[in-house]
Amino acid sequence: MRVRWISLALVVALGAWLLWPQPSDEAPNDTAPKQGHAAHSQDVRYVLRFSPGYFFMPDSVPYGIGKPLQGLKTVVREFEARFPDTRVEFLNVPGVREYLVTQLSSGRAPDIINVNVEDVWTDVQKGWYVALDPYLEQPNPFVVEKGDPNAPGYKQWWDIFRYQAISRGKAAPDGLVYCLSYDMIETGIFYNKDIFGKVGIEAPEDWESFLEVCRKVQAAGYTPVLMSIDMFSDWCTDLFFDQVYNNLLPGIDLLKDPKREPYLQGYLDWDEICFLHNLGFFTSSDPRYGEIWRLMKEFRQYVNRNLATTDLTREFVTQRGAMHWNSSNFTYRLLADKQLGFEWGVFYPPPFTDRTTPHASHVPMCVIGGSANQIEVTNSAFGDTGDPNTSERLQRVIALLQFLTLPENCERVVNEYPCLIPNVVGVPVLPPLKPFEEILERPYTTTKWVYTFDLKFSEIQRRMLELYLNDGIPFEEFLAWQEKNLGAACHNLVMRKPIDIPRMQAAWDAQAAARATMKDLPNE
Amino acid sequence: MNRERIPNHRLRATLSCYAIVAVPVLLLTLFVYLPVIWAFSKSLYQFEIGGESVFVGLGNYVEFLTADPVTWPSLGHMLLLTTFAVCMRLSVPLLVAKLVHSIPVERWRYVYRIVFLTPIVVPGVAVQLIWSGLIYADNGLVNETLRSLGLDSLARGWLSDPTTALPAVALIGLPFVGGFEVLIYYAGLSGIPESVNEAARLEGCTGLRKFFLIDIPMVMSQLKLVLILTIIGGVQGFQGLFIVTRGGPGFKTTVPGLWMYYNAFSFQRMGYACAIGVCLFVLIFGLTLLNMKYFRSTEELEGGR
Repeated sequence: MRVRWISLALVVALGAWLLWPQPSDEAPNDTAPKQGHAAHSQDVRYVLRFSPGYFFMPDSVPYGIGKPLQGLKTVVREFEARFPDTRVEFLNVPGVREYLVTQLSSGRAPDIINVNVEDVWTDVQKGWYVALDPYLEQPNPFVVEKGDPNAPGYKQWWDIFRYQAISRGKAAPDGLVYCLSYDMIETGIFYNKDIFGKVGIEAPEDWESFLEVCRKVQAAGYTPVLMSIDMFSDWCTDLFFDQVYNNLLPGIDLLKDPKREPYLQGYLDWDEICFLHNLGFFTSSDPRYGEIWRLMKEFRQYVNRNLATTDLTREFVTQRGAMHWNSSNFTYRLLADKQLGFEWGVFYPPPFTDRTTPHASHVPMCVIGGSANQIEVTNSAFGDTGDPNTSERLQRVIALLQFLTLPENCERVVNEYPCLIPNVVGVPVLPPLKPFEEILERPYTTTKWVYTFDLKFSEIQRRMLELYLNDGIPFEEFLAWQEKNLGAACHNLVMRKPIDIPRMQAAWDAQAAARATMKDLPNE
Repeated sequence: MNRERIPNHRLRATLSCYAIVAVPVLLLTLFVYLPVIWAFSKSLYQFEIGGESVFVGLGNYVEFLTADPVTWPSLGHMLLLTTFAVCMRLSVPLLVAKLVHSIPVERWRYVYRIVFLTPIVVPGVAVQLIWSGLIYADNGLVNETLRSLGLDSLARGWLSDPTTALPAVALIGLPFVGGFEVLIYYAGLSGIPESVNEAARLEGCTGLRKFFLIDIPMVMSQLKLVLILTIIGGVQGFQGLFIVTRGGPGFKTTVPGLWMYYNAFSFQRMGYACAIGVCLFVLIFGLTLLNMKYFRSTEELEGGR
């Protein structure tokens, strides 16, 4: 009998201990030193939680090759030395959306996170993120401190960033910037020079010769191009779209955002996409739109069979595939592989010609990459007051980001290994990444289809495109899905954001003369 | 005086038992039943985490059952995958368990039990990745085998080809012999009284005849358990599909559970996802009731005699 009551007491005690609210990490007098950190003084006031993502996570080993990364940790320790009341903890958080949503809704997310900004856009109206515009438009105090009025960042923090078009292009549909673009990533086609030599081919100059290269490689028994369905749905879609729509921009680019237009000439925002969609663009009556998918299907025959695969690297390094469309960070994977038995190079997808399509715009393939590490500040950062305008803690979080973007600090972090291109003026690009730096000098894409305000649109496009490319549905049915999907995305956009239709209509009318010279426009 | 103290003593003993049970019941209520009730209430709203809730009544249910083009195909896929899983798990492991049980030497029975049980320790995620990355890959086991047999034209992207994706997913785990089902059936076969086996022998009932007429009815409880668990797993489960195909190509391998997940966390349609969850709950509940009613366990069969 007594044993039972003791058991009961133990169970209750255990349950109470498990359920007892944990003390907050943040407390004005939180003096307990946390594991893995250097000893700190008794008056640590701010414990900032920073999830830097996998590219620069301190002590991680990229691709499992080489030494553990130390760059970010070194810079952050210097920041802590300057602000003894601040301690920064690094967190390795899951990159899945459900984690983010649950943590943000409960105000327990890390203060600084690194997620693709399109995942942020859908939630900005909930107050989960801090708009960075007010800080970006002010001087960076660490630059001011050095006393050189000509130094980028002295007048406004924005100026410190090298790739302005891409950085500012990350503005959310509400026009505000929630993402700090710390570095850049660009895609390229990595190719096996040994296979090319054996087959007797060279890197192609235009799309037709690229397809010819693919044909020869395939005839030699190799998989010509290794890529997954995500690359078709994201990169390929944007490149092909730009190739056939670029020369229409003078007639269809309706909104000129005074802030972004100097950097993003001709970029079609979602307001414009929806407006144009209502006029018949991007539907089955728009010949250019159908052309994108037809050309993609033609290209698909030279790509690996299984588009759902995730391990394309293996096929490339074992020389079963001759070309692999990947991002600049793949450079390190190849450089670091001491057992790699072939020479490799990189080229960018070549442009369409008149032989490819009658709608070719005759422009080089555009930039589709952009921000790699996209750093956002969450609502946890102003948890001390609940108001970003009065939060001292938020000021310290911003100070950390300002410190990280100093050229000497950015260089130590980003250039620790050849992976990404620094987005800070004055920081050199590592030699193996030069091809990608050259690509980034090109004009930015006409639009980023996956960066919609509606994640369902991207998901359904990816799924139906995979089905279409694998002969699961005919062309007409695929177009019908796309039309319906785009219609639903536009409807959702209208529900979330007021669209200035009169302004766009006025611009549309004003640009009628430009459109008069254009062929094959959809019927209005 | 004694008479009064005994019930009192029993009452205290009983109370302490109830009190001990009350703690897990409380936790169960807190973490299982209340969320279920909450999910049901939220299924009546257009709702996303952190956003405003708008009452839509049965709108989410109507949309799921009548307007969503994914609903019926996904239910069809779920039905096919679950039926296949039921057929496999009720047959192959039972056969293996019977074969192991028939081994005359205890030591070898033990060895085979270990052999068939060991695959349980391999995480499901690893199994899925092995199948998608090594077996179904472009240059994986299946395609390379076909090529070596001169059947190159049959090689394909098994998981991204619309005609093969669903069967390929269903076959993950082949030959379905490793796992706890073998152990459960083995335990059931071991539990058959020796007198029954003896009687069967005397009656000349041996081999396949004994297997079908004696063994299977005697392990009916185990079959019922595996059936219920497989159905529940088939209706609820989507992790494997998420890993290997993400429900594609198109919606060719999408099941309602996966669609619920996408709606909840990718599309921010939490109310709609709750409605899908409630529908799945009703489905599981109904199937389990049917199972309880029509699939009689060994004890019930014995009682019926």
